[in-house]
Amino acid sequence: MNHFCREASQLQSDELERELTLVERIRLRMHLLICGACRNYADNLQLLNSFFHSLRKQTEDDKNITLPDHDRERIKEALKKASES
Amino acid sequence: MSREASNPESWLTDHGDYLFRYAQSRLRNEEQASDMVQETLLAAWRGWERFSGNSSVRTWLVGILKHKITDLIRKEIRNRKLAEAVESDPTSSMFSADGSWVEAPTSWKENPEDLCESDQFQKTLQGCIDKLPEKQQIVFRMREITGEDTESICKAAEITSTHLHVLIHRARLALRTCLDHHWFGGNRHS
Repeated sequence: MNHFCREASQLQSDELERELTLVERIRLRMHLLICGACRNYADNLQLLNSFFHSLRKQTEDDKNITLPDHDRERIKEALKKASES
Repeated sequence: MSREASNPESWLTDHGDYLFRYAQSRLRNEEQASDMVQETLLAAWRGWERFSGNSSVRTWLVGILKHKITDLIRKEIRNRKLAEAVESDPTSSMFSADGSWVEAPTSWKENPEDLCESDQFQKTLQGCIDKLPEKQQIVFRMREITGEDTESICKAAEITSTHLHVLIHRARLALRTCLDHHWFGGNRHS
């Protein structure tokens, strides 16, 4: 018997990147109904996806990341030079 | 537009940290990130008359920075000749000839917010990403760590969206296995 797991894993990843075609969607849903391993893979991807989402929010809000002082001075000098020339 | 608004030193004061954070989250290299901030402010100064005033100064600066970063990544990919590199396909070892999983995925019982708080998990994840082939690493980081859109990633890596989706898929498969072995699986046995 041929299994659909290999294709299903690609479709599951694609679903996070683009809209699946109707046929792709139906094939994937039908397969997930009968395949526990692929349902687990779906959960794993979902968890990673939510994790990365939270991580991005955390990084954007991280006010501890600041331009180092020596770089700030260097940039200030470069801007001064540019505006004088 | 007032003279004050077109003063690059005030841009540095008002937006320097923000721009640096933006660049740092994408490049993960402090030196490159601050260089990008400098180039952005210089370009903004030279192109000030092109600023339409329809958006905020910050939005305008971020737009310039984004272009600079994409260019930098593209150059890096070119220099390291990654575009031509043939990278291994992990799917062949993860599935049997009949298309079934060699090692069936199991359920992961943790929640994403807790994982975000765990330095240990982030270290494990970083280690797993580092093990990916180089091109996969770059596009995967752009996609998941910095949340870049498909168009910018394809532009930077000079690949089609179809190719990008294949690379992301391979990266996810490899990452899942790696995390299962080094994190989730370990918890299961304890």
